[in-house]
Amino acid sequence: MNNLSRRSFVSFALASTSLLAMPAISTGSARPKVVVVGGGAGGATAARYIAKDSKGAIDVTLIEASKHYYTCFYSNLYLGGFRDYDSIGHSYDNLSANHGVNVVHDWAISVDSSARKVRLGSGATVSYDRLVLSPGIDIKYDSIDGYSVEAQTKMPHAWKSGTQVKVLRDQVLNMPKGGTFAMVPPPNPYRCPPGPYERISMVAHILKEKNPTAKIVVIDPKDKFSKQGLFMAGWEKHYPGMVEWIDNDTHGGIKNVNPETMEIETDLDTFKADVACVVPAQRAGAIAMNAGVTDGDWSPIVPASMQTKADSNIYVLGDASVASAMPKSGFSANSQAKVAANHIRGELTDSRVFPAKFSNTCWSLVATNDGIKVGANYKAGEEKIEVVDKFVSKTDEGNAKRKKTYEESIGWYNGITTDMFS
Amino acid sequence: MVNIVFKFFIAISCLLIFRGLLAEPLLDGADFDYGEYLSGQCLTCHQNSSDEGIPAINGAEALYIAKKLILYKNKELENEVMQLVAGALDKEQIASLAIYFNSLEK
Repeated sequence: MNNLSRRSFVSFALASTSLLAMPAISTGSARPKVVVVGGGAGGATAARYIAKDSKGAIDVTLIEASKHYYTCFYSNLYLGGFRDYDSIGHSYDNLSANHGVNVVHDWAISVDSSARKVRLGSGATVSYDRLVLSPGIDIKYDSIDGYSVEAQTKMPHAWKSGTQVKVLRDQVLNMPKGGTFAMVPPPNPYRCPPGPYERISMVAHILKEKNPTAKIVVIDPKDKFSKQGLFMAGWEKHYPGMVEWIDNDTHGGIKNVNPETMEIETDLDTFKADVACVVPAQRAGAIAMNAGVTDGDWSPIVPASMQTKADSNIYVLGDASVASAMPKSGFSANSQAKVAANHIRGELTDSRVFPAKFSNTCWSLVATNDGIKVGANYKAGEEKIEVVDKFVSKTDEGNAKRKKTYEESIGWYNGITTDMFS
Repeated sequence: MVNIVFKFFIAISCLLIFRGLLAEPLLDGADFDYGEYLSGQCLTCHQNSSDEGIPAINGAEALYIAKKLILYKNKELENEVMQLVAGALDKEQIASLAIYFNSLEK
């Protein structure tokens, strides 16, 4: 039993024993009720837009365990020393104060979809007319032999922001001179496709300054990756000879990892690391599984609304959904949240519903003032979210343009976090 | 009688000329509610809390916004993200966004 399921089990056991004693959370109004689970880029945006645009006509409850949310996006820039930790932390206070969102800091444990109730870790229940699940990802600890919840302190995945990224940064800063940093990126599909490669860039940035004889080896379960040409050209330009990327075809597959010996075994060889970032496969957050709206690891949705195919009262946003062509990113989740918010308001208050429009851009930092980006527009097809148009940065762009792209990413960070939390 | 017809003709002419001056074809068909919905796509990046890297556009002149979007749509202004966003907007959508952002506080 992994950490999350153990925590869920304990919470569930506590909830079960106290069920009769626990009241339902009542918001004391006859207004239609929307419950949003998960306060990230999908959930916080959905809660804010539904509350703001309905001007109080909809009762919105946001259930989020953390009191402070540390963004996964830009956590790599904290790792590389471009941001301080506090600057990627955000509070939910404004959602209550400015828009009347009822923020409940608790875990959502289960969903009774026929009674339309969510049970919380405290044992209380919250009823809903529409439920929005935006739980992000859970790590599949057992997808790599030898990896486990316990292993994550020695070989951090650091794929959910927060303290794991702090652990990883400390490990990189304290790596022996001339040592080896190993990165095991996740297999597709996973949160933030360019993320592992931006992470490698940020580690290289630290090592170039503090530990220039150190090496980085990337043992990838894939044969290609997002913005590959741009990243590889950037590594050669800024960190020549430091990064070795080994694709799956070359190493023949990752057989296991050993956190005690810090070894990663593949068909080709056994790699010994001083610091290792191991990111296993992923799946939708547990509450989407518990709500019965997943098929396999993720939740299929109706592209026009983000309603789940399994239950039209339940919407799934962001990483946990099957958004077809849209990558699992904070930008995507934020974009999907607005489509869902518009649809939910229409259903509950007869407001106008407009055709779904989605967009995404992923910015990555390769080195100081060297920003790259990839983006696309999307529309709702019958079965899938489909690409309308797309772009990607070019390898031969000048330094001025790359600097501007990095500055644009700062504007985006300020923009999206305002869009989520103000 | 001729005088009355003439005055009426002058009055109608003035009204039409005046309307022509007031009405801006770029903002024809603007729909405020649609603009509010479409603005969601812009607000991921454009917020008045920050002008760093990406300009704050709340409260900007409607015509200014519409003209900028058309320039991006026609790729006469550089920026891949804006060319992509504006490229997918039709005339009514541009007009709706322009009047919506104009209505927001600076």
